[in-house]
Amino acid sequence: MGKVKTSLGLLAASLVVAVAAGCNSAAPADSKLPKISIFQSKVEIAESLEALTQKYKEETGNEVEVWGSAGDAYVTQLQAKLAADEGPTIFSVGSGSEAEKFKSYYYDMSNEPYVQYIAPNMELTFDGKIYGFPLGVEGFGLVYNKSMVDPRNVTDLNSFQQTLEALKAEGKNGFSLSQEAYFLIGHIINTPFALQPDPQGFIEKLNKGEVKMAETKEFQEFGKFLDVIKASAVNPLEVTYDSQMGDFATGKTAMVHQGNWSYGMLTDYGDLGFEISMMPFPLAGNDKLAVGVPGSWVINNGASPEEIKAANEFLNWLLTSETGHNAIVNEFKFIPALTNIEANNLDPLSQAVFEATSSGQTIPWAMNYFPQGIIVNDLAPAAQEFFLTKDMTGEQFLQKLDEAWARAAK
Amino acid sequence: MKTKFDKAWFALFTIPLFFIFATVVIIPFAIGILYSFLSWDGISANPKVFVGMDNFVQLFRDDRFLASAWTSVKFTIFALIAVNVLGLVFSLLVTGGLRMSNAARTMFFMPNLIGGLILGYIWQFIFTDAFKFIGPSTGLDSIFFNWLLHPQFALYALVIVFTWQMAGYTMIVYIAGIQGIPDELLEAAKVDGANGWHRLTKIVFPLLMPAFTICLFLTLSGAFKIFDVNLSLTNGGPMNTTELFALNIYNEIFGYSRYGLGQAKAILFFLIVAAVTLTQVVITKKREVQM
Repeated sequence: MGKVKTSLGLLAASLVVAVAAGCNSAAPADSKLPKISIFQSKVEIAESLEALTQKYKEETGNEVEVWGSAGDAYVTQLQAKLAADEGPTIFSVGSGSEAEKFKSYYYDMSNEPYVQYIAPNMELTFDGKIYGFPLGVEGFGLVYNKSMVDPRNVTDLNSFQQTLEALKAEGKNGFSLSQEAYFLIGHIINTPFALQPDPQGFIEKLNKGEVKMAETKEFQEFGKFLDVIKASAVNPLEVTYDSQMGDFATGKTAMVHQGNWSYGMLTDYGDLGFEISMMPFPLAGNDKLAVGVPGSWVINNGASPEEIKAANEFLNWLLTSETGHNAIVNEFKFIPALTNIEANNLDPLSQAVFEATSSGQTIPWAMNYFPQGIIVNDLAPAAQEFFLTKDMTGEQFLQKLDEAWARAAK
Repeated sequence: MKTKFDKAWFALFTIPLFFIFATVVIIPFAIGILYSFLSWDGISANPKVFVGMDNFVQLFRDDRFLASAWTSVKFTIFALIAVNVLGLVFSLLVTGGLRMSNAARTMFFMPNLIGGLILGYIWQFIFTDAFKFIGPSTGLDSIFFNWLLHPQFALYALVIVFTWQMAGYTMIVYIAGIQGIPDELLEAAKVDGANGWHRLTKIVFPLLMPAFTICLFLTLSGAFKIFDVNLSLTNGGPMNTTELFALNIYNEIFGYSRYGLGQAKAILFFLIVAAVTLTQVVITKKREVQM
């Protein structure tokens, strides 16, 4: 079902793009600001963003169009559109190397009024200029069903294994990843990187071939965790994000490796009948959630001056008006990275991330510094091989990862 | 006078078409050739460095590309056989005077009206969820399992979907060919004592050669160039084992941001497809007979 939905969404998106491309030149020439477009990578907020732009139109009369977003394929589509000079007015980019890649397209927003509300150190900057801002921070870890799992029983490799085996004996699935590149390997492999004393430096050394994952302690334990997952949990390649969250919501799966964004998927199931929360992925005794800025919103400097003005108006409205704030916190379910919003009424997952952030119990998103595109292009196929080859051990998988990394970083 | 007038008419009808053809095919193609000599990441603001034939040398060292080329060849052979055999059988069925022939014709052709992307997603559901359900409940686990997770079967899955989509189309071409064969010929042969098999192989097939030329060309080039079904059904997986030519080029350009190398692959791809299909057309053309 989810796939059909996605493909219909894609179809609709391409239609919208075609129509938008046709309409640009034929905009009516009255005092109204020109119609602008937003293209962003979060499938979860697509509907609420659409609704928000409707409200914006009612309040101000200006039109904002939301282009359909497409998860894993987002960067590809963005690049194709920008290269064809049909780019959106406002778009989102991931942090780290992805932001670096599209740097030449950003409008310098340092002098816009709304940048003063961005929480400290959260803005996207190059050479001291502000080019983008995050709508929120996000965190991921083990999302668990409180009635099935006690976090005190999941604190290291042994207890993790025992919990999975106990649940398996009851006919339940203890833990689930899903087949999408980031949910299969991208997020979970962040933990051994983040636990290095200097994650960014470690990645640079890895790129140069000076260190090996297979020879690093945290990764060796990561390999053992994967062995346990392979032996005592469902094969993630049989699971999609939709079915992963569906099985979790209906109590068939006790834990999923997911982030606070996945709460939006659970609300479709109404009252779950049990409480949920998020705990750290207990690799090497890790007791911290991975929290970071997933990406920033930027303005396309290739847009016309009127469009840029309209884009600034919209962002200003989004970051300062009550409707905008309400949407960010209550509709998008973001943990705000703005100084002028109070965070209350957070959902349980966001609450866990918010508490971890406030108390400093976090590890960084090291994956932002991975070579561009490596998760989708190289790590995911390696992970597929691991989960499909029955007798491949976690140790052999690490060697595969090292090979894949060497290929990608050259 | 008359010839001048004719020329003006000629120009009036061809120049607009030529203009469109030039802007959407010839010019981009020329620019594409140019890009294949550059090292560039596809971002307009970043430098384009001229590297000569480097990209072409590099692509022969690219194991993943060579593997995907081999997979493409395998896929094309399977697809060519499956589509044409099935299309021919369908066309013989529906011209054989069955009562349901018109309805059957429509049904066989229907899948061709659905876009490849949608087809891919529909069949993805069948191969994963439906098969996973059928397998355990019928006990035929060895046939009904998740095909898309098995490198070999994922390729067969692609062939099945492509066949399902294209067989109806070739059927239409074959029907047109069969209906063009005069009844007298078949009746005369019948009177002379030729049985059904002889009539089929000695009269129908030789006279169908023009239809074979067209159908083989369409499936050959279609199978080589397939992208949409590949993207939506398997997306190259598992482990890049079903990544065909076009998808490999796409991943090179958009996944790794190597425009020049991807473009070089595209040029090579064009040469291969052109060479293969031209050879096929020349060979089958020779075998066409005149009545």
